[in-house]
This record gives sequence, C-alpha cells and structure tokens, in this order.
Amino acid sequence: MIRLDAVGKVFAGRDGSRVTALEEVSLDVAPGEFVAIVGASGCGKSTLLRLVAGLVPVTTGRVSVAGKMVDEPSAETAMVFQAPTLLPWADVLRNVTFPLRLMGRAGGDTEARARALLATAGLAGFETKLPRELSGGMQQRVAICRALLQQPRVLLMDEPFGALDALTREEMSLELLRIWQETGAAVLFVTHSISEAVLLADRVVVMSPRPGRIADIVEIALPRPRGFEQEGEPAFHAAAQRIRATIYNRAVPHAA
Amino acid sequence: MLRSALPGLVTVVLFFVGWEGAVRGFGIREFILPAPSAILNAAIAIWPTLLNHTLSTLTTVMLGFGASVLVSLPLAMIIAASPVISAAIYPVLVITQSIPKVALAPILIIALGANEVPRVIVTFLVAFFPLVVAAVAGLLATPPELIELGRACRAGRFQQMIRIRLPFAVPFVFGGLKVAAALSVVGAVVAEFVGADAGLGYLIQTSMAFFRTPLAFAAVVTLAIMGMVLFVVVGLVERILFPWSSSATPVTPA
Ligand SMILES: Nc1ncnc2c1ncn2[C@@H]1O[C@H](COP(=O)(O)OP(=O)(O)OP(=O)(O)O)[C@@H](O)[C@H]1O
Ligand SMILES: [Mg+2]
Repeated sequence: MIRLDAVGKVFAGRDGSRVTALEEVSLDVAPGEFVAIVGASGCGKSTLLRLVAGLVPVTTGRVSVAGKMVDEPSAETAMVFQAPTLLPWADVLRNVTFPLRLMGRAGGDTEARARALLATAGLAGFETKLPRELSGGMQQRVAICRALLQQPRVLLMDEPFGALDALTREEMSLELLRIWQETGAAVLFVTHSISEAVLLADRVVVMSPRPGRIADIVEIALPRPRGFEQEGEPAFHAAAQRIRATIYNRAVPHAA
Repeated sequence: MLRSALPGLVTVVLFFVGWEGAVRGFGIREFILPAPSAILNAAIAIWPTLLNHTLSTLTTVMLGFGASVLVSLPLAMIIAASPVISAAIYPVLVITQSIPKVALAPILIIALGANEVPRVIVTFLVAFFPLVVAAVAGLLATPPELIELGRACRAGRFQQMIRIRLPFAVPFVFGGLKVAAALSVVGAVVAEFVGADAGLGYLIQTSMAFFRTPLAFAAVVTLAIMGMVLFVVVGLVERILFPWSSSATPVTPA
C-alpha cells in the first residue's frame, strides 16, 4: 500500500546549511497493516510522514501509495498532525467535516457519520463547541475524528496521543485499534512510547538519528484483538527490550 | 456591557461638568468657548437643520466607508496571495497615504465638480489604507499548520485564501474596520471643509464665519457621537456575525 524506495530527504537551511533528515529509507506497508515508528526526537519521523502525505517532495528515491507515485496530497491519505491543528472559527462538527467539504466529497450521511465518530471518541454533546472551549486532549481527539471521517486507505498519525493524559491515551489506543480493524486502513503511527508501539502495531520501525535511517524493524507476533493484559506476556517484553536496545545502544541491535 | 461602559460615562460627565463650571466661573465669552448648556441650546434651537447636515455627512461617511471595504478586502487578498504583486502595489498605496488628503480635496473638486463624488473619494482614501494593512496582516498571519492542513486536503491557492486565510483574518479585519470607521468621519469632514453646501463640516465653517461658536461646537459633538456609534456598530456586527472573533478583540470604544 505504501512503498518507500531508498528515500532521502535533505532540507536546505536558511543560512545555506543542509540537514539530511532521512537517508536510504526503504519500507513496504501492506494494505490494512499497522506500522509504528519510534525513534529519538529529530530523527525524521514527522518528515517521513509528510513525504508519504505528499506535503513535501523527496530529495532522492521514490514514495508511492497504492501503486501511484506520490507527488501531491492524495484523497486516499489522511493525516493527524503532531498538534491538533483545528480551525479556531469552526465548531467541532464543522472541523471534523472540513476536509470532506473542502474536497467536495461531503455527502448526505457525512454529518451523521461525523456525529457517530465523535460519540465513539467521547465527544458527544460537544459538536457545537469551539476548539478553544475544549481541553488539549479533546482537541486532539477531534483531529483524529477528522482524519477517520475521510475513510482513508492510508492513515498517517504523528504522535496523535502525545497531548493526552496517560489514562485517555490507553483508552484511545484501544478505540483506535477497534476503528482501524473496521476500516482496514494502512496505518503509519509515530510515537515516543515503546509500549504503545508494541501494543498497537504489526511491525515497529525503529529509527536512528543524524541522518534519519531505519535501524531495525521488529515484528510483533502478539495475537489480535490486543489488550493491556498482553503487556505481561514474554513476547511483549522481548519486543520492547529489542526496541529499547536499538534506541539506546545501537551496538547490540539484535539483543532479543 | 453596561457595567464596562460605566467608568467611561463617569469620565465624560465629569468632563462636561468641569467645562460648564469653568466657563461660568471664569466668565469666558460665548464666541470663544461656549458652555455645554449653550451648545445644547443651540443644537435644540436648530435641530432640523442639524439633522439634515448630519444625514448629509453620514451619507458621505457610509459611501466612503463602504467603498473602502469593497476595495480593501479583494486588494488585501491579491497582495497576500503574491509577493510580486505585493511588491508592485504596496509602494503605490504608501504614496497615496503620504499625500495629505486636505491638499487633494480641492484638486478633486475642480476635476470632478462640487458634488458627492470627490467627497466620497476623499473619505475612501482616508479610510481604506488601515483596512488593507490590517487585512493583509491577518491573511499572512495564518499559522503554517493550518495552511498545511489545507494542502493535505488538496486545497488550491484560491480555496486556501477563501476557506482558511480569510476566516483566520476576520479578527484582524474588524480591527481595521474600527479604525476605518473612525477615520471615514475625519475624511468626510475634511472634504466638506473644502467643497460642500451641506454637512457638519460645512456647518462648522459657516457657523465660525458668523462667530456662532455654540453651533460649531454642536456640530463637533455630533461628529464625535457619529464616530463612536460607528465604532460600536462595527463591534456589534463582529459579535453577532463572528462570535468566535470578538472575545479576542474586546469591544471598548476608545
Ligand atoms: N521544513 C524544514 N526545514 C529544515 N529542516 C527541517 C524541516 N523539517 C524538519 N527539518 C529537520 O529535519 C530533521 C527531522 O525533523 P522531524 O520533524 O522529521 O523529526 P521528528 O523525528 O519528527 O522529531 P520529533 O520527535 O521531535 O517530532 C530535524 O533535524 C529538523 O531540524
Ligand atoms: Mg515530529
């Protein structure tokens, strides 16, 4: 579904300096697969997502989604940004339906589906509230609903739970898994939390910084549906240990 | 609203009371500085005339203000859309602003005749610049994340301008509208000083020519009230049409 082929990205700084954000990144994500990306801050995770979203062009290599080379944002792809990025002038419902309305894809059932999604995200009754009347975590849930409403075949999520408290975070992860299994979208999910990555993903991509590269890809063999009780299982620990070892001590990447 | 207006009201009342007391206490002659009571009496004595002049000025103000809104918003969008166009237009705008409108008024009146048109043009010229500047500032202040959201939703440049930048600029635009409303009163009076046979500016000039100072003061007070009312009306329109905007820019007449 998503294919990255020896992708490199170099940013030109204001002062003419050049930052290599990504180098030789190759990755294949199957339809309906859930792939988590972990790595230190600044190792190019957001950049990777923005390349797949078609928001920035690659410097070298190629990115394709559903067999088509990505050179501009596609209607197949939806993105949840690192910050909620809501329209301050629109209420919750209009924020959630904004992409579909902007793309001229809003239909008769759009509003009903939006209301249903908001209800699953625990936001029933907040449809007519403005973003500034919501907490940070609620705003991020609105942003997640906004992406899901587009029924994308590729869902890109950049630390979507970063602003949530630990409790809401766990609740939202399970909710996301449930919705993902219904939609069958391919997901690229950036997170700073190793246990979150292991709990959610089929595979965890571990990235190393300067320049951003893929250091390891860990298969998570836990059965679905997933739940927090699995955090006690040996397979969970083994995967988490291997990821941790790769991040903190790149000399022993295959400690598991 | 009432509660927040109270301190201002007290200040204004104290000001007029002090004025009345000073004029009476020092025996100041009426054609130099009339007391508020004398101004009020003069206004009441000729109120139908005063009303006519007020309506005449208000017409010029509204036409000039309306024209400035109609021209400024599209102009601001064009300027914000393209750095090249912006570089081409902005110097011209700044030049129009550097020309004193009082100097321009007689020239316009000779060219266009002593009618409503040159007065509306002068009013427009005074009012539109702050509006353009405020609107451009708002359009360009749109956070890059929102622009990126628009791009991710495949919005073109036009959609980005109309659906994202323009709504974001609304509070800025209303800031500009408040300034423009007050300035269009100034513009209309300047034009009336130079060439008019009606209007509060004309009334001030003719009254002073005959040393009817209380009448001139009545016209000045009417102008002040007109400016304040316009300012408040713009604020009310913002509150009613764009409730999400007004909390960022509280409505308190200066
Ligand atoms: N638009 C840009 N212009 C210049 N450099 C950029 C730009 N975007 C990202 N970079 C650089 O690319 C590198 C990777 O940035 P990126 O935002 O992808 O990191 P990240 O892994 O998402 O970090 P974090 O976990 O903190 O969000 C950084 O060194 C950053 O300075
Ligand atoms: Mg990031």
